[in-house]
Amino acid sequence: MVPVHQNVIFCCLGMSESICTQTIRRSLIAFPFVVFGLLFALLIGVQPELPLDFAATWVPALGVQLAWRIDGLTLLMLFMITGVGAAVFVYANGYMRAKPERLRLLAMLALFMVAMVICVCADDLIVLFLGWEATSILSFLLVGLEHENKNARQSAQQALLITGGGGLLLLAGFLLLAQQGGTFSLSALIRQAPELPRTPELRAAICLIILGAFTKSAQFPFHFWLPNAMAAPTPVSAYLHSATMVKLGVYLLARLDAGFDGSREWQLTLETIGSITAAWGMVLALKERDLKRILAWSTVATLGTLITFIGLSGQYAALAVAALLLTHALYKAPLFFVAGNIDKGVGTRIIDHLSGLGRVMPWTAAAALFAGISMAGLPFSFGYVSKELLALAKENAAELAFVPMANLIFSAIAVGVATVAAIRLFWTYPLKTGEANQVREGSFSLVAPPLLLAGGGMVFGIFPQLLQPLLNAAVLAMLPQERAAHFSLQPATSVDPSLLMAVFGLGTAFFFFWDFLHCIVDALVNPVLKRFGASSWYGRGLRAIPHIAASFTRRTQHGLLPRYLIVIVLFCTLVPAFFLWQARYFMQLPAFSLQGSEWFAWAAVLLIGVGASFAALVKERLTMVLASTLVGYGSALLFLFAGAPDVALTQFVVDTVFVIIVAAVLLILTKMSRAMVSDPGWRPGSLVIALGFSTVITLLLLVALAFPFTTDLSDWFGRESVPRAHGRNVVNVILVDFRAFDTLGEITVVLISFMAALAVLHKKSESIPAALAAEQGGFSSVPVYIVMAVAARYLYPLMIAVSLWMLIRGHNEPGGGFIGGLTATTASVLWAITRGASAAQIRMPLKAPLILAASGLLLAAFSGLPGWWAGQTFLSHQWFEFSLGQMVLPLSTTLLFDLGVYLCVWGALGGYALHLLARGSKQTSAPLEERIL
Amino acid sequence: MIPAFICAMWLTLTTGVYLLLSRDILRCVIGLGLMGNAVNLLLLVSGRMPYLEPAVIPSGENMLKAAANPLPQALVLTAIVIGLALLCFSLVLVLAIAERSGEDDLSALRHTEPKATKPLRPPFLQEGK
Repeated sequence: MVPVHQNVIFCCLGMSESICTQTIRRSLIAFPFVVFGLLFALLIGVQPELPLDFAATWVPALGVQLAWRIDGLTLLMLFMITGVGAAVFVYANGYMRAKPERLRLLAMLALFMVAMVICVCADDLIVLFLGWEATSILSFLLVGLEHENKNARQSAQQALLITGGGGLLLLAGFLLLAQQGGTFSLSALIRQAPELPRTPELRAAICLIILGAFTKSAQFPFHFWLPNAMAAPTPVSAYLHSATMVKLGVYLLARLDAGFDGSREWQLTLETIGSITAAWGMVLALKERDLKRILAWSTVATLGTLITFIGLSGQYAALAVAALLLTHALYKAPLFFVAGNIDKGVGTRIIDHLSGLGRVMPWTAAAALFAGISMAGLPFSFGYVSKELLALAKENAAELAFVPMANLIFSAIAVGVATVAAIRLFWTYPLKTGEANQVREGSFSLVAPPLLLAGGGMVFGIFPQLLQPLLNAAVLAMLPQERAAHFSLQPATSVDPSLLMAVFGLGTAFFFFWDFLHCIVDALVNPVLKRFGASSWYGRGLRAIPHIAASFTRRTQHGLLPRYLIVIVLFCTLVPAFFLWQARYFMQLPAFSLQGSEWFAWAAVLLIGVGASFAALVKERLTMVLASTLVGYGSALLFLFAGAPDVALTQFVVDTVFVIIVAAVLLILTKMSRAMVSDPGWRPGSLVIALGFSTVITLLLLVALAFPFTTDLSDWFGRESVPRAHGRNVVNVILVDFRAFDTLGEITVVLISFMAALAVLHKKSESIPAALAAEQGGFSSVPVYIVMAVAARYLYPLMIAVSLWMLIRGHNEPGGGFIGGLTATTASVLWAITRGASAAQIRMPLKAPLILAASGLLLAAFSGLPGWWAGQTFLSHQWFEFSLGQMVLPLSTTLLFDLGVYLCVWGALGGYALHLLARGSKQTSAPLEERIL
Repeated sequence: MIPAFICAMWLTLTTGVYLLLSRDILRCVIGLGLMGNAVNLLLLVSGRMPYLEPAVIPSGENMLKAAANPLPQALVLTAIVIGLALLCFSLVLVLAIAERSGEDDLSALRHTEPKATKPLRPPFLQEGK
């Protein structure tokens, strides 16, 4: 990429391009010629039996294949893509001479050609879709080639949004269709389409596919993007927006027509929308003054005509579609080239400023004349052939009155447009000599492509039999039931000449009164379009998106925590409730018996109930906190009754520590000067939500309890506890031995949360503020409760001793590192209340909670190493026996591990308590001190 | 024993969620604690409680017989300790929020939301930073 880029810059600076770049560019230009030549050789030399099929597996699991099929219609499209492509590549090379974008343009055009070839050759819906989307994206890049230009950017965005959005509809339609037909193969689907049952899904699929094709082929009401895409450079407009890409929708519908032609809705939709587009597009051409936009609107109208005739049934309609596809490519691309040459030579495309160019631009004028003759459908042009075929198809098949009407308007204005482009610009009102001197005819590469293409239109008009085999094959692809039929391009029944005369007469009138009609259309149509046109709706929709997004965001991201929580809780209530409701017949609830001997448990529940209702209803916050503690104590009692003394002890200590810490925090919050919350107190809505949530969770629990339960794991722990881990308290053995790695992780979490809290509290080190550290004696600023202080002197050592005892006995009796650590934390809290937080900190081992907790963690991790070194897994505990005289003292790394847990819990949770208490006393010290003194 | 546990869990959970939905930041934290409490009760009861004896092997025996399920107890024990750490951390956050904003009313704590000058435009477009 880098050398190419540099060379582009050199080109830009006027230096000669390197040989490398030149080679790339030339091979890019040769690309369509090579493909065209190969195709031609294949058709003439080999004369294969159509259709050609070949496939390779791609995603077999999804039934997606790289399947290709070349039949007559594909061949027609391929010749157009490569033939017009060859002309466009040569023209683009000349048009973009000495512009830095030239290589980029050629490369993207080549990519685009590949995408088109993929699209028309694909026999697999997914492959077709990929090619389709690739053309949309490349169209975006090509329209926005001059991306410094805001207009180009907007037009590119519009083209992408409309065709890309249509592509999504198409994908949905394809998937539905494949689901109905059971295959992704396009040809198989078309074969079985007439037999498929007309289910709503199939209707939806067809609607979606038609919509997708309409967006691509710029049908009403998506027609407006095509004229806006004229912001693209002229070669791009000639290739994408007249000859090839916009024909993709026509191609797809023509292909599907073989399968769905029998459907009345299919015919009516195509005929109606196609006719509206054909007539309306041509009328809108009248309101433009820019030559390129006039041509663009006539392209829209031609596409509409093509769609209409796909809707009509019969062989003449199919033949007309094939002929018009080709005719249009042969005259519209040259006309775009002509517009580009005029733009380059004169500097404007506004037709008011253009006249009498014939003398200075003779070659361009000749090309315009040939193309114009074909567009107007004069005799001896290929346009005449297709015009005859169109008229025949109408006569034979048209049932709706507006189809011939729309076609008449289309044909007449087409004649007008053709004469404007071919005669008015070149042969009327001669240019002033001064201006004429400045106007230049284009170089060879600018005039040869339009002359060749338009000349081709003339040659085929005189010798239409040259195209007979190709068009014949294309019609066969569209009408598979008429295998053997042969369609003549020179129909035996000639068309009523008066109709043709009427068209030419009207067209001539349009030519002469072009400016007058322009004024009328402009005055009548523009105000209506501004307010009600599809384009204005598009603009409104685009502007509304950020507004809708913003208001949605405002309503959902309001920053109110209670409301977010309500959404979360409701979600967590309704989703399980829904599934519970769905499964209501399959589930059963467990059977319980209430035993009178368990009255003490119900007393604990009563305690919880009292605590809970007070916590919920009381307005005063300290009471609320105390009431919530009752809930904790009640659960602790329940744990005790349920045979879980370890858990009960832990819960008791935790609740006690927590209530003290919360009280300290509450003191800070109340002492803060600004207005504090005025809780509305009674909140019935929240109560309903809470009741719903807890009831659903309780139901889930009941359902879970009704399932059979295996106690294999618990039994295993109970069996192996003594032989393997030498411990009788199974809960503690699980914690420190069987699941020691989990426990290690848990104390790590506790330590990390403490570290994070320290960071939040803005401490550089973990030491408690200097002002407080000064009062180590405990008599300066901390409230002194004399009795408690005296008691604490004796209680503290006692509590530490108890905690150590808990730790040591924990392996065989209720207790353990967690409970011991929490008991030690309580001792520290007691000391902090009576003597101040810093005094309590100094009393801790290592004099610093964080270091204490970290060493606990290290110790616990270290205790796992001996087992590791002994070749077992990490944290496999080792046992040693020391004999002291008569006694045998068993020692193990288990104790070391539990000691680590003890220290970590003491350090981290004690640290939390001390820091929060220190905060509390800092905020409240002054008034309390006064009170005491 | 199981019905008592389920009742206790239902009561605790209801109160916990009710307090959590409050505007008062401290009530939120207490609600969080109560919800944790309810979960602990739930965990223990899902061990089915076949027996009410502590899961301690009597000396002289080698196996646990007719005792409470030890596994949920071990889970709940660590959950309680971690729960305390979580609650303490929440309290630290409450303090930090209250000290910085002078507010403990959640409906007033919207500092992360920029002030909207126009009702229907995204705030990041209005700030112009």
